[in-house]
Amino acid sequence: MSTAPLEVEQPEVEEAIETDRPWIVIVWNDPVNLMSYVVYVFQKLFGYSREKATRLMLQVHHDGKAAVSEGTREKAEADVARLHAHGLWATLEHPS
Amino acid sequence: MSARFQRRGDGVLVSLETAEVELLRSVPAELQTVLAGSSAKDDPVYNRLFPSAYLDPTEENAEQEWQELVHPELLRERLAALELVATTLDRAVTKRGRAELELEPDEVQAWLGVLNDARLALGTRLGVTEQAEAEEIDPAAPDAAAHALYAWLTWLQNDLIETLLG
Repeated sequence: MSTAPLEVEQPEVEEAIETDRPWIVIVWNDPVNLMSYVVYVFQKLFGYSREKATRLMLQVHHDGKAAVSEGTREKAEADVARLHAHGLWATLEHPS
Repeated sequence: MSARFQRRGDGVLVSLETAEVELLRSVPAELQTVLAGSSAKDDPVYNRLFPSAYLDPTEENAEQEWQELVHPELLRERLAALELVATTLDRAVTKRGRAELELEPDEVQAWLGVLNDARLALGTRLGVTEQAEAEEIDPAAPDAAAHALYAWLTWLQNDLIETLLG
């Protein structure tokens, strides 16, 4: 699989997206949800590897929050709903 | 000591003390009461189970639209999970002094969700903090029984997750 042509195109694509910045889904730390459960939910909802899910969980734990996904407002709203369904404290925001 | 949860294909074999099953039976009923308090918007437990999606106050309209769209579904899912867990507990059979039952994958998810919701509700009501979790509970304290229940639910949920994560 060749990736060279894509790499050349990428800066342009990123510039185009820049004007339409994605919404970001934040998960906040809370004293109840178990670390193992948070890892499990990240893997289940987003299909993340154990490593990535663990890294995000630790970021939530140590920094108080972590950006776990991004996309259109609709996608971010849907992700927040799924996180709430699993008892995680999540919000969406649009970085200015 | 035998494990309380064992993988069985995509499902899980549960083996609990009969007293633990009795304790678990009380959980869905209590959660149902919490969930029924839909109008109590200033209830911290209710707000923890159904938080806001937007922190930004200028997104008030989006927040309201999102709540109207999503809240009935979230509530329905939680109530369905409670019912499913109660149904599985009715299937428990006593073998060698322990209550055993097999859970299908969707039932495992319902257990996980209900255990977590129960801990969220109880933990919020008790004002649990990350530090306090490790501390000893004073058996003379008025909420000692609730703290003990919380600790037991935590233990149970953690066992189940460890089983699922393998």
